[in-house]
Amino acid sequence: MTRSAAVFGFNEYSRQIAEQVRNIYQDFALFVIDQEEKNAAQQAGFSVELFDLSENWQGIEKSFDVENLIVFCALANDAENVFLTISLRATFEKLHIVALAQDNESAIKMKSAGANKVLPSIQIAANVISDMLEKPVVTKVLHDVLYKDGLLNIVEIEVTAYSSFVGKYLHDIHFKSEYDVILLAIVDHEMGTTFSFASKGHNHHIDPGDILVVIGYQDKLDVLIDAVRRRNV
Amino acid sequence: MVGRWLVAFAFFLHSYSPYRNTKNFAYNLLENSHYPYKKYFDYGMILLIFLSVYILIRQVKYEMSIEWLFFNNYVISFIFLIEYLTRLWVYSDSAQVVIDQYESDLFLHRPFSLSQAFKTIFKQKLEFILSPAAIIDLLAIMPFFHELRILRIFVLFRVLKLFRYAKSLRRLISILASKKFELLTLALFALIMIMISSVLIYVMEATNPKSPINTLFEALYWSVVTIFTVGYGDMVPVTPEGRMVAMIIIISGIAVISFATSIIVTAFTEKLDEIKEEKMIDDVSKLGRFYLVCGYSPLTNEVVHRLRKASKHIVVLEKDPIKAKQAQNDGMYVLNFDSASLHTYGDIRLHFERQVIAVILLQDSDVANIYTALTIRELNKKVPLHSILHKPENRKKLLMAGIDEMVNPQELVGFMSKKISNQPIAFEVIHALRSEHGGTVIEEIILDSGMSKRFFELLLHPLFHQRLSMLGIYQRETQFFAFNPSSSFAIAAGDIAIIVAKRSLVGEFRNLLHRNKV
Repeated sequence: MTRSAAVFGFNEYSRQIAEQVRNIYQDFALFVIDQEEKNAAQQAGFSVELFDLSENWQGIEKSFDVENLIVFCALANDAENVFLTISLRATFEKLHIVALAQDNESAIKMKSAGANKVLPSIQIAANVISDMLEKPVVTKVLHDVLYKDGLLNIVEIEVTAYSSFVGKYLHDIHFKSEYDVILLAIVDHEMGTTFSFASKGHNHHIDPGDILVVIGYQDKLDVLIDAVRRRNV
Repeated sequence: MVGRWLVAFAFFLHSYSPYRNTKNFAYNLLENSHYPYKKYFDYGMILLIFLSVYILIRQVKYEMSIEWLFFNNYVISFIFLIEYLTRLWVYSDSAQVVIDQYESDLFLHRPFSLSQAFKTIFKQKLEFILSPAAIIDLLAIMPFFHELRILRIFVLFRVLKLFRYAKSLRRLISILASKKFELLTLALFALIMIMISSVLIYVMEATNPKSPINTLFEALYWSVVTIFTVGYGDMVPVTPEGRMVAMIIIISGIAVISFATSIIVTAFTEKLDEIKEEKMIDDVSKLGRFYLVCGYSPLTNEVVHRLRKASKHIVVLEKDPIKAKQAQNDGMYVLNFDSASLHTYGDIRLHFERQVIAVILLQDSDVANIYTALTIRELNKKVPLHSILHKPENRKKLLMAGIDEMVNPQELVGFMSKKISNQPIAFEVIHALRSEHGGTVIEEIILDSGMSKRFFELLLHPLFHQRLSMLGIYQRETQFFAFNPSSSFAIAAGDIAIIVAKRSLVGEFRNLLHRNKV
């Protein structure tokens, strides 16, 4: 789990990113490209640092543990954002970079430049608009689950080495009836590093390090989390 | 006395709804090109015209049966006669003329002028009778008097009636009419040239015994054939003077043809956008139900792309011609109109309740979207309005303008960043479900009352158990989402279940659920 975050740029998007993430990290920094952005960010209540695209980033290395740092590249200009991404990747091989792109074309370039995750803003908005029209209920429920601090929530639960779940098969655990939660997906490290939907029907063998993605009411999720982490006796 | 009786009768007709309805129906069928049943009437008339022409051609060398001849001479002619009289009837409202005259005279304290009313009625009807289309209609009825053999040729006037029923032919006429002055000037020039050259060639050639041009008619024939660059060669001038005339008329002929071609081409070019626009409005009116998107931008392109994947029709309204052109190049139904103008919706003949599933406002600013929303709300209170929200501080204003749902991209990106930071795998799982990558989808299934038992039984069916997850049921009436409900949950009509599974499995589940219901 990364413990520090840095956001680059100050515009409508980066402001929202900064506001959402600054309280969930121990260390947070906002880097802006010019004085105008600096003034705007300070007015909005952020403490900021200036940077320029030609610098060698040694400052970041000194201020943060780069392996535990997540960086949001959210400059207003896509070309500058690509340049920022590629500069950071060239310096820090293990840095986790999330880059903002306006469209798919820029998103491909951000990926090539080394971003771990790209957020194409136009596609994101288009997806939500079309989902709201075609699947209004699904959109509302998923939006509430993902982004609202309501009772219904989605969590990732990592199976610990001493968990009582280790050694069991997925179909042996009655998530719905016993815990009143729904298992959506599992990252089974025996089968790869990416997740697999539970609805594929595979009866995964649970090992330490596997991750369960579960949806449910927070109190029920807490019960499940306790059960997963409970030492196997 | 007669006047009073006539006024009373006019008022009776004016308020007698069966009469008005019949007249409206007849008008719609004959004249209203947007009336849905008009096309069937037109097809029927076109069929009769082709039958007439077929019979005329067949008659030349073959004997036709009595029944066919009767059909052609009486039945078709009678139908055309009825049509002609109906057109005459619906062309003007005589009852209204009498009422207007009566009220005008009453207001001015004058006795009711019956003759003035008749004069106005007669003038209006005469206007119809003397219109070119009505003259053609009348001539097309003439074969009714089939005993006069020469009148059979009048069947060909029926072909001209095609202009009434074929919209594209009417459009052709209107395009040519827009260049009436230029075409008439050119025709006058051609006429003068023909007259001069006919007389000249006659004077030069008629006295020469070797010349084939001996009469004024032959001179006229030669001039027409030459000026229109046909040049059969059956008659040629033999004198040097005659040949000189020929050279001049050949050059003039080329000019006439070139000018005529360029005038017609220009007329088409000038009207091209108008023709395309009319065609697009027609196409849109035939689309059925569609999403109406106001404003074209890269975001519009993406939204349209997504909705098209769901097999939905989309119509874009964009007032900027350059952007409208771009949208058209992207293969969309685009109408180059201002979505904020009330007139637009009349001009494009939009019927919100019948045609529009929802309106999506994707213009460049919140100001423009609010203005358009207010325009649409003035026309229709119910149509769902969705909008992009450019600045979060304008959210309340958009709500006040009647927008039902709005999306703020900046806010979405912020939420996503938080989720990516907190729970990247959970975020990816939901993202994959939404984007339907890997074939697993999240779908809505509309339920009906009395489905509860079957629904919960199916979830436990070996085909679906462990392979299909039901997240919950959204209760339409209370707008409450019941997460992971038990089998005792009472399903009401219109409730929606949210299902996660492979697409094919969701389809099968839906089929089995509804098959059982049937």
